[in-house]
This record gives sequence, structure tokens and C-alpha cells, in this order.
Amino acid sequence: MDRGFLLESLRSALEAIKTNKLRSLLTTLGIIIGVTTVISVISVITGLKQKIATSFSSLGANVLYIQKYPWVMGGAGVDWWKIRQRKNLGMEEYKALKEYGSSFTYVAPQISNRFDVKHGDKKVDGVSVDGTTEDFPEIMNQQVKLGRFLSTDDIQYRRDVCVLGNDVATTLFPDENPVGKTVRINGRVFTVIGLLEELGELMGQSMDNVAVIPYTTMTKFTGRRRSLTITVLAEDEDEAREEIRWILRRVRRVKEDEEDDFSINSAGALTRQFNQLTRALFIIMVGIAGISLVVGGIGIMNIMLVSVTERTREIGVRKAIGAKSSEILGQFLLESIMICFVGGFIGILLGFSLTKLISLTGNIPFGMPIWAILLGFGFSFIIGVFFGFYPARKAAALNPVEALRYE
Amino acid sequence: MNKLIEMENVEKAYKLGETEVHALRGLDLTINKGECVSIVGPSGSGKSTLMHIIGCLDVPSFGSYNLEGRDVGEMNDNELADIRKELIGFVFQDFYLMPDVSAWYNVSLPMIYNRIPPRERKERATQLLDSVGLSQRINHFPNQLSGGERQRVTIARALANNPEIILADEPTGNLDSKTGEGIMQIFNRLHEEGKTIILVTHERYVAERALRKIHLKDGMIEFEE
Ligand SMILES: Nc1ncnc2c1ncn2[C@@H]1O[C@H](COP(=O)(O)OP(=O)(O)O)[C@@H](O)[C@H]1O
Ligand SMILES: [Mg+2]
Repeated sequence: MDRGFLLESLRSALEAIKTNKLRSLLTTLGIIIGVTTVISVISVITGLKQKIATSFSSLGANVLYIQKYPWVMGGAGVDWWKIRQRKNLGMEEYKALKEYGSSFTYVAPQISNRFDVKHGDKKVDGVSVDGTTEDFPEIMNQQVKLGRFLSTDDIQYRRDVCVLGNDVATTLFPDENPVGKTVRINGRVFTVIGLLEELGELMGQSMDNVAVIPYTTMTKFTGRRRSLTITVLAEDEDEAREEIRWILRRVRRVKEDEEDDFSINSAGALTRQFNQLTRALFIIMVGIAGISLVVGGIGIMNIMLVSVTERTREIGVRKAIGAKSSEILGQFLLESIMICFVGGFIGILLGFSLTKLISLTGNIPFGMPIWAILLGFGFSFIIGVFFGFYPARKAAALNPVEALRYE
Repeated sequence: MNKLIEMENVEKAYKLGETEVHALRGLDLTINKGECVSIVGPSGSGKSTLMHIIGCLDVPSFGSYNLEGRDVGEMNDNELADIRKELIGFVFQDFYLMPDVSAWYNVSLPMIYNRIPPRERKERATQLLDSVGLSQRINHFPNQLSGGERQRVTIARALANNPEIILADEPTGNLDSKTGEGIMQIFNRLHEEGKTIILVTHERYVAERALRKIHLKDGMIEFEE
């Protein structure tokens, strides 16, 4: 297409939009809503995926978390009341898994608490303290940087020993080796036996504000009534899952026709659940976007028909000075595409703002992929062409003499 | 003589529902290159219809029309558009300028469809506006111009692609006689420069400049002087 003609068509399209600002804006409402929906849903899903991916990286691959409750409540046929009445998981389950389990190499119980940790006049608030056993670093892929980790003896004799995370260690012992020194955890004196390798930050939160103590010592604080988390490092997740179910159903005496009264959580399972949710969101999005885009398209067609009628005389003049039918068609098609682009552009801006808002309020990373923007414009283009074609063809087919005589 | 327009037994009928309106009923007309012809006749006699057919905006229902030796009846829409673009310049009674662009842009519009590069467009539009005495009005919008000035812009636009034929359908119809006189002088000059000019008019004094005067009545040529 010739550049001069293209520019003239653009100019004429913009002129038409400018003279009917409000009308054009109202016309594009459907497209605005459609594109806003597409952009924000895609962006929010992208952000969520990013968040989940980074959060999951700390959960570790092939790590199963056997717990009283599932991480995500959802899906059909979930009986809330039944789940709430589940028995706690205790040492009996842990021991059974350790003894009979063959599909996993490491298993560890875990009780977590937030405690203040002190040394002298220095203090760290809200340290995440895990009570566990010697298998813990293997499962969590944690290394000891200095000293040693918990031993079987520490656990058996309920020793008051602890392994500190990097944050806690550097705050309490800025310029001395903490191994062999004592700290107070929740008021109780512990001997520091080791330091954990630094893990860094995850989503703006330090993962080194931790301390690890024997599981048996932890029960001095919590009693034996709290439900355990049992972590397992599986070789094959599905196989381990089946075996764990088999063992725990017997230990907990679950009847043949009853459902499991425990949950086996994992990053993989959570990802699957998340993907299901994403798919549902996606279908809703396609629905809303589809309807509003079609409604918007019909609006465009209507307004273009009005525009063609209003400018019948102009079409006649253009033909009289030598415009071909195809050029009239091109001009009106371009006008319809331009109107849709205006709508698409506003939709993209609104989608951007909405995503920003959701990411700020929902603490989700902001992720607006380029292809979402292209998709927004692509939709606008297709709507513009599809719904603009009939009016444009009508304009092109006008008889020049009749168009000139039109009052 | 160099025959430019040759019409033989041209008829034009419009359908109005069930009935047919015969705007032209068997018209023979030959116009040579460089002639200035005026067409007169009462309202409804078919003058505009004839102009539209000469200008390839419409085609005859019957009869033959040859333009520069080519049969217009055989042409498709695109070929007709090309003829209008390259060979014909229209001047309308109601000007039909585009209201939202300046005088020079109006003049350059036919050149856009003729794929003339932008720089040349602007240059030529300026030159044409200058030649019709509007060098001071180049950037004015149509609603900032008087009737006579608007008609001059229309003439400049008609000349944009340097056509062979200028067709003017009652070009002075909306102007007072003094302004109309000025417009007629431009046509006179164009005729002197060698353009073929065909004017529709019913104000007698205006047509006096033409060498041929064709009288139309009820879609037929009544007589010629
Ligand atoms: N597009 C049309 N449809 C129907 N009738 C038309 C059309 N154009 C012209 N006519 C009729 O044809 C006759 C000639 O019209 P026209 O050529 O405009 O006459 P003039 O220009 O001499 O006044 C008139 O009776 C007019 O009503
Ligand atoms: Mg007329």
C-alpha cells in the first residue's frame, strides 16, 4: 500500500475519531473491557506463577510434607468437617515411616515455632525455630557451614543444643565464633553446635532467620499434643506417596472404605492444583473477553455504518477525484482498526494499572508479558478487520453519483 | 480535428421503484480536444447526468461513449476511477471540499490517489492555489473562505493531476455575479492554456465565453449554437 494513501487514511480515521470522541470511546467500551480482562488475567497468572515457582524452590523437589491438613482446600467433594476432626500426627507415625518406609531415603519430624533468641544483651525477634532430627539437612538440602548438625544422641537425650541460621548468628555473634557459646531460646539456655550455610532471600524475606533444635527438646516447649509435620525425601514421588498412605492408614487404623485422614503435601501437588486453578481462571477470562469483544465488535460495526452514512458525500467526492473502491474500503477498514486500537490501547493501560494494583495489594510479583500486550493489539486488530469489513465494503460499493447527490 | 469525446445515441435511465426516469434519451455529441463547450437547459433536462457520464462517474444505460478513442462502456470500476483521476477534473456547484483539512490539503487530495510524492504534492498544490489567486489562503480551512474562494480551491483541486478535461456543473450557481465573473475568467484562462472545458450553466451571460453552446431539453439536444 502506498504511504501517502496510508497516511491520508490514518489522518482521516483520526479526524473521524477526534470529531466523535465520546461516541468512539463508548463504542470501544466492549473492546476496552475485553482487552483489560485478557491483559490483567494473563499478567496476574504470570505473576502468581513466578511467585509460586520461587516459593516452591524453597520447598524442595521430591520433598513430601505429611501433615494433618492439606495446603490447599479445594476441588469437589471436600468435607471440611471431616478434615477438621482428623487426629494429630505424632511420633508413632514418624517411627512407623522410618522403620517400614523403603521408597524414601530420609524422613524427619518437624515442629516449627517463632521464638526470640538472645545472647547477652543482643536479641533477635521471631526466629523460625524448627524442632527436628538428624535427617533434616538432607531433606531440606541444607549444609552445615561450621560445627556440626544434630546427632541421634542429641535427639535421644533431648539435649539443649541448637544450630543457627546465618542471620541469627551474625546478629548475636558479630565478631566471634558462636560454636560452643550459649544462647537463650524462648528463655531456655541452648549450646550452639553449628552454623547453617546461607540460603539468601526468597521474595524479600530472609531464609536465614532460623534455628534448628532436636525435636525432642522442642516438645519441652510445646508438649506432645501438637501435630507434627513429617518430611520425606522421596526418590519417586508417586511411589513414595502410595507407600506412605499404605503405612499411615494402618498405623492410624483407617477403615477400608474411609478416606485418608492425613494429607501428603508437596510442591509438585501444589503446582498441579495451581495449574488447575489457572485453567479455571483462563476459561473465565476467555468467556468474559470473548463476550465483550464480540459485543464491542458489533458496536464497532454499528458505529462504522453510521460513519459511512454520515460521510456518503465525502465518499462520492473521493471517488470523483479518482479514489478506487478498494481505496475507500481500505480507508474505512483502517478507521475501524484505529478505533479498535484506541480501545485496545486503553484496555492495555487499564490492564496494566489493574495488574499493578493486584500485585501491590496481593503481594504478587508484577509480570506483564510482552506477548499479552501484543495479544491485546492483535485482538483489537482482528475485531477491527472482522467487524469493520461489512461497513467498509458498503462504503466502497457506493455509486459515486448517488453518493454525491446524497443530502 | 482531434476527437476527445464521442457519444452516440447515449441514453440514461434511472429506476425509481417501478417507474423509470429517462434522464437522457438518445444523445449524439462530439467534443474535440481544447474546445470550450457550455451546456444549457432547464432544470431536470439532464445536464448533470450528461456531465456525470462524460466524467465517467456513471455509465450510459444505452449507446456508446468513447473517450480518447476508448470505449467507456467496456471499462470496469478501477479503469473508470483511473480515468477520473488522470483525465478529468470536477468542479461542483456546492464545492464539496473536505471541511477538516486546509485549502492546500484539499488540493493535494487527488494527487494522493495518484501516488504523487508528498514534497511534490505540497509544491504543486501551492502553485495551483497561487494560479487561482489564493496564495494568501493556502492554510485556510474551507469555513474560513468565502464562496468565491472556495470555488477557486475546487478549481485548483480539479487541476491537481493536470487533467485533459475540466467539467464544471453550475460552478457559479452559488456565487454572486461579480464573483462568478472572476471564476469564469479562470475557466477562460484554462481554455486559453489548452484545456478542454465543459460548463453547465443557466445564467446566460456566463456562457457567452464558450464557443459552442448546447441546448438540452428533456434529455435530448434541442439545438446547438
Ligand atoms: N440518481 C438518480 N436517480 C433517479 N433519478 C435521477 C437521478 N439522477 C437524475 N435523475 C433524474 O433525471 C433527470 C435529470 O436530472 P439532472 O441530470 O440532474 O438534470 P439537470 O442537472 O439538468 O437539472 C431529473 O428528472 C432527475 O430527477
Ligand atoms: Mg444539475
